[in-house]
Amino acid sequence: MAVKSRIVKGFISLPYNWSMGPTTTRFYEEFKNKRIMGTRCEKCNRVLIPARSFCSGCFVETTNWVQVSDEGTIRTWVLINFSYEGQPMAPPYITGIIDLDGADVGLPHFVGGVELDDLETVAKKVRIGGRVKAVWKENREGHILDIDYFKPIN
Amino acid sequence: MAQAVAIVGTGQTECGRRTDVSYPELVYEAVSRAFDDAGLVPDDIEAVVAGSMPPAMEGVNNPHLYWADAMGAGGKPLIRTATCGSTGISLAHTGFYHVASGMFDLVLVVGAEKMYEGDPQGTMATVADPFFQRPFLAGAPGIFSLQSNEWAHRYGIEEKRVRMAAAQLSVRNHDDALLNPYAHIRIKITVDDVLNSRIIAYPVRLLDVCPASDGACAVIMASERMAKKLGRPTAWIKGVGYCGEQAFFSEGDKVVWQSAINAAKSAYSQAGITNPRKDLDLAEVYNPFTFQEMLFYECFGFCDFGHGCDLVEQGVVMRGGDLPCDPSGGTLCTNPIGATGLQRVSEVVLHVTEKAGDRQIPGAKTGLAHAMGGLDQFNGIMIISSVL
Amino acid sequence: MTQRVAIVDFVQTKHGEALEENVRELTFGVVRKLLDRVDMDRSEIGTMISSSADYWQGTSCSNSYYYDAAGGNLKSGSKVTEDSVFALIYGMMRILSGHHRTALVVGVTKCSECPSENTLTNLAADPFFHRPVGLNTVVAEALQARMYLDQYGPSEEQIARVVVKNMSNAERNPYSHRGGKFSIGEILSSSMMAAPLRCMDVPSTSDGACALLLADEHTARQLTDKPVFIHGIGWSVDHTYIGDRDLLNGALPKAAEMAYSRAGVKNPSKEIDVVELSDVTSFHEIMWMEQLGLCDAGNGFRLVEQGVTALDGRLPVNPSGGLFGANPFVARGLIRVGEACLQLRGEAGDHQVPRVNKALAHSVHGLGGQSHSVVILGN
Repeated sequence: MAVKSRIVKGFISLPYNWSMGPTTTRFYEEFKNKRIMGTRCEKCNRVLIPARSFCSGCFVETTNWVQVSDEGTIRTWVLINFSYEGQPMAPPYITGIIDLDGADVGLPHFVGGVELDDLETVAKKVRIGGRVKAVWKENREGHILDIDYFKPIN
Repeated sequence: MAQAVAIVGTGQTECGRRTDVSYPELVYEAVSRAFDDAGLVPDDIEAVVAGSMPPAMEGVNNPHLYWADAMGAGGKPLIRTATCGSTGISLAHTGFYHVASGMFDLVLVVGAEKMYEGDPQGTMATVADPFFQRPFLAGAPGIFSLQSNEWAHRYGIEEKRVRMAAAQLSVRNHDDALLNPYAHIRIKITVDDVLNSRIIAYPVRLLDVCPASDGACAVIMASERMAKKLGRPTAWIKGVGYCGEQAFFSEGDKVVWQSAINAAKSAYSQAGITNPRKDLDLAEVYNPFTFQEMLFYECFGFCDFGHGCDLVEQGVVMRGGDLPCDPSGGTLCTNPIGATGLQRVSEVVLHVTEKAGDRQIPGAKTGLAHAMGGLDQFNGIMIISSVL
Repeated sequence: MTQRVAIVDFVQTKHGEALEENVRELTFGVVRKLLDRVDMDRSEIGTMISSSADYWQGTSCSNSYYYDAAGGNLKSGSKVTEDSVFALIYGMMRILSGHHRTALVVGVTKCSECPSENTLTNLAADPFFHRPVGLNTVVAEALQARMYLDQYGPSEEQIARVVVKNMSNAERNPYSHRGGKFSIGEILSSSMMAAPLRCMDVPSTSDGACALLLADEHTARQLTDKPVFIHGIGWSVDHTYIGDRDLLNGALPKAAEMAYSRAGVKNPSKEIDVVELSDVTSFHEIMWMEQLGLCDAGNGFRLVEQGVTALDGRLPVNPSGGLFGANPFVARGLIRVGEACLQLRGEAGDHQVPRVNKALAHSVHGLGGQSHSVVILGN
């Protein structure tokens, strides 16, 4: 009997409980007070965010906490205009990597507070090297999205 | 022929419910300990091998990339090997071939799992194909019970006798786990406790079954030239064997289990082992379920087929016996799956280098490490010795 | 390396959007055809190394489902995951060890059966930091493309030429999923997906499988008149967090350096005759060319514009059409190696490049190219 291959629908859904460990936990606890904290590696002197318990380069523990600014510079950015299952918000929106003042590594986050209708206008306000500042949510729960987005300044 | 391959350092984490650390931090713990044990730093390492169970176990796709920094792997060659329950031994084999090929002199091998973060049985139920087997096989306990019942029936072993031998193995493993600082389940139990514990998947009862653990293990492998240069306590890999079978569970014979037999045979032939019962001083047999361990004794040539129970009853496989098995407490008491096979390797290394502490088998020179995976489908072996 | 390892033969599926056969059947299909081509019985295979990924199959322990379909029943084997070039590397190591004379290497992915690349690679981001802000491969690639634009200033037209070239090459490749003649205007009028990337800058995914037989030199010469030798391999991984990395100079130069040094390649742009690389976006074909040392940084798009990388150019890149032609996610790297092999054997048909003595194949996975592998092949 000649038949056409049938498609069987499946859906796998599994629950997770991810341990952050105390270092990441504190990193996000500090968010409640609008503080972005990094850890400094005593060997290479880099300030790492998110705060981490070890420096991957030097392979030593990092326990020295330092606060970094919630202002920084856009290293690069993208205007998202596509959708997928599990996406954090409906497009369009902008994602960027922000080099915060006082940190030696970048922070990926949203860039917002900009009208997104026209790409050319966007590109005038959002640019590599442009300055941005965190816009904090009113209610903060200790999560990366306690920062709503980074807003271009100047 | 293959370059000789040494193991010059091992690192294990304490296992159990490790909510105190993130997944990469758990990996970092094992890797740091392996570096300390070998007296090395990440810069010394030329290549890294990493692996775990299906990523759905922890809900992070590409775990090797997530762990890259925790292994000091940035800027180095990194390969991910994953073969289900046998992942740990497959990792050890992958590391072995990195060195045996002559391509690298120092390789870091890492396995980890954080099973409290996900739904282990839910994940493992998706190992079976979605069209034919997935509805029936009910995760690992279901499969192993099917196999154990067939084994006992084939040889006409009285149910009471099988249950008693399995219970004795459970007591042995739990006693040994008390001596192992890295073990997860550390409780004193009796044979009656096992026999009276709740049925999970008949005939397997709660105390016949391994836990799901958080844990990581790291091993550093070296070429002969490098091992001699380092001049540290060294174990040598004498043989490796691996064999896989059909996807459909019911297609092969799981009693005279060809993949287990073949894996042992090729490892023995490389290692020059002709009489495993005599030539081996210990075996770390992968035993997530007590019943299955006796079947492995038969397939690995520790005894004739149908006589696995004898070895338990005669005390051969107990601490102090002829061929002590799982002196670490084994998989039955600790099972962070992606790390489990590599823990078997590490444990044998600790014994043959006389670093096993309270659980040391005195004078052990040669041991076998084993892991099993897939739908009762993959078996892998490594023979490790103190002598090159 | 004292011993040389050769590719005896290579087989791939006719890749497609949603192939009818299931994963076992696709795998069996390519392995059966390969064994027939080299006139070999399954019993003669030394070892079988496969590559697939569990999330990309909807089956945990993905190789458990096809181990026997890949010819592995009662054989020694393993699975290396995410990048099928790792399977080639591991197969090669097993032969170099002397334990095996031949290694069957298999890659398979049916992207039509699993969630989208965007969803699955968002799940590859860590759960606390990268995932909640929606990072995935396309987002990370767009972030890199923006940096490239800012630093070197290519025009949109110059970048779009990569798509025109690859889709046109793909049309000549009988195994392609997609292909065709497109104008620059058509590409530039496709909608903005992740600015600066348009929909047509990013190859969508495919279903496909491939198999390749490796052997030591002696065995290879018995099995084929046209063995292709692996001269060098290199692979490297970058740091976990994307903000820690130099996004325009990551793991690829390290992987390339390792491959070149093992292959004795001193001047890649002169010595390499053809390149099959993983063009995850139009921008990335250019960036990877530069990071492979095939041209100076910031010069890649000019080579494309001058036709240097065209089928009839001095250094053809992706004569097969690359990922624009077919993109079965995990299998795609091994397909690059296989296509390079076809070029060296003069068996690439309508997309054959003249005078090929040395070829480069490249594969990549992870956000923003966290992991790369490079293979140098020769006759």
